[in-house]
Amino acid sequence: MSGAGARENIFATRMALTNMKLRLKGAEKGHSLLAKKRDALTTRFRAILKKVDEAKRKMGRVMQLASFSMAEVTYATGDIAYLVQEQAKLAAFRVKATQENVSGVLLPAFEVDRVSGSDFNLTGLGRGGQQVLRAKEVYAKALETLVELASLQTAFMILDEVIRATNRRVNAIEHVIIPRLENTIKYILTRPTDTDGSLVNRLKKVQGKKKRQAAITAAAKQAITDAQNKSVKSTKTDETQPQGPVAATEEEVEEGVVAEESAEVADEEVTVEEDAVGETAVAEPEVEVEEATVDLLSTKDEDVIF
Amino acid sequence: MEGLFFNVNNGFLEGIVRGYKAGILNQGHYASLTQCESLEALCDRLRNFLANEPSLLSTTTISDKATQILIDQFNFLRSNAVEPLYKFLDYITYGYMIDNVVLLITGTLHERDTHELLERCHPLGIFDTMPALCVATNVEELYHSVLVETPLAPYFRNCLSAADLDDLNIEIIRNTVYKAYLEDFHSFVGTLGSPTSDVMQTILAFEADRRTINITINSFDTEVTKEQRAKLFPAMGRLFPEGNNVLAKADDLEQVRLVCDNISEYRSFFDNSSSSQATHDVGDLGVATQLEDRFFRMEVHLNKQAFMQQFQYGVFYSYVKLKEQEIRNVTWIAECIAQDARDRIQDLYQSFDRLYCLLLA
Repeated sequence: MSGAGARENIFATRMALTNMKLRLKGAEKGHSLLAKKRDALTTRFRAILKKVDEAKRKMGRVMQLASFSMAEVTYATGDIAYLVQEQAKLAAFRVKATQENVSGVLLPAFEVDRVSGSDFNLTGLGRGGQQVLRAKEVYAKALETLVELASLQTAFMILDEVIRATNRRVNAIEHVIIPRLENTIKYILTRPTDTDGSLVNRLKKVQGKKKRQAAITAAAKQAITDAQNKSVKSTKTDETQPQGPVAATEEEVEEGVVAEESAEVADEEVTVEEDAVGETAVAEPEVEVEEATVDLLSTKDEDVIF
Repeated sequence: MEGLFFNVNNGFLEGIVRGYKAGILNQGHYASLTQCESLEALCDRLRNFLANEPSLLSTTTISDKATQILIDQFNFLRSNAVEPLYKFLDYITYGYMIDNVVLLITGTLHERDTHELLERCHPLGIFDTMPALCVATNVEELYHSVLVETPLAPYFRNCLSAADLDDLNIEIIRNTVYKAYLEDFHSFVGTLGSPTSDVMQTILAFEADRRTINITINSFDTEVTKEQRAKLFPAMGRLFPEGNNVLAKADDLEQVRLVCDNISEYRSFFDNSSSSQATHDVGDLGVATQLEDRFFRMEVHLNKQAFMQQFQYGVFYSYVKLKEQEIRNVTWIAECIAQDARDRIQDLYQSFDRLYCLLLA
């Protein structure tokens, strides 16, 4: 019974029992709440996953379009990279980060903030300016897609992490904390009395054992004196009978062995008592049986009282 | 009469240039190029036409190599030329020189490494004193220290009023100078006599109109004022002068369209009723984007026609332009292939349709 499951290391008192019951209730409530959170997060996670997929496909298309428009610029005006590079002074495309709350998880969301700058508006004034403008627009769109994807991707990572943590918690509560609390409660319930009571119990047992020991030694002495008496009688009646003392010694030895055995049994009883988890109730009858062979019912009675 | 003595000085070079022109890719070549699945395959086929080096990997290398071929051919022509063809060929390079000067000025303003800048310059427009440009900080200094030595000096004289060199001014300087260059080139070919001037002035007039229209459209909604805009228009071309006046005041694409309707050849530029809707989204941006394609088409058409006339210098100019268009086409195809053609094969073929219109005879 002691190996049935892990339990809290506490004394089996009534107060501990109430505490445990409260904790069990709390754990169950927490479990259901966390499970709800996990479900909410998972729903969100799936939605984001879908969006990420879409955004990635879109990005593929848009980026291709963008580099294609760049090819058109090259076709129309030649290499303008240098001019554009030198004339761009202000970032016309900025990203703002905001936060969004999903079931207590803060997700960063990126927003596009476009400043309509007039940088390199004049590039390709004489030729191909329209292509440059177009490429600018297309690339801005591509960047927007990238930003969108970035915010989705970040949310995806964070949600993934949070969901995993929540899952761990839910599982821990379900499979570790709740069973342990239940075991503890069961332990307290199956425990016959408080630990203080069992101490008295043990003391009384020790006392009873001492009595038993005394009784055994008394019986042994009685047997010896009986044997001596017998031998005196036999020497009186028939001096050629040597069996008497031999039998007596045999008897003596037998008695001694029994006494030793009973002492051992008593020891065992004490050790059993010490590490018992409500086991005494079962262990005691066994002791009784052995004791019955010694025929010392008085101690047995004492045991049964408690 | 021109046919009588032309070949004495220029017959050899004209023969050469017509031979070069025969080497330009034709429709069949483009058709086979568009079938390529990868850049490597493209290079394999290109090696036959362009005799390129192996180990071409990116689109930039392809265009660089192709440009190099053009440069070599041009230098060969120039070293064999005599006056006035030599001067004519020089004029062709002035356009590239302007671009290089502007590039260097931009780089200098932002304190870039000179060597890095020089590498980016177009090889056709390189001149000896070019590296010295990097020391200049304003236009006046620039003019007096460096440009006065170069053939570009007269062009820059007009824009000395621009006080500071900022980005807006740089772009305006570029266009002002280019305008001056076009006008000068135009008057120079006028001195060369009948067949050359006929052919070249048609081409240059179109070039001027193209710039005018482009500047007008591109300067909508920018910091360029209408007065500034008017100053950038070359004082030549078929739109000049009434068309230019209207364009200088134009506020939207519709007005540009009205101006172009007066010229029969330009009428089709804004015609978006036909095939255009299938390929491009309607709207101002779409029309304007397509406009560039139509300009290219027109340019190629005019340049092809230049080869119809003999005993004139127009062929040299046209050859350079056609070759440039070829480089652009090849780069475009390479770009399309490099950008994973499989997904957008349909799109690609539409883009190649655009090429077919620009195909050279």
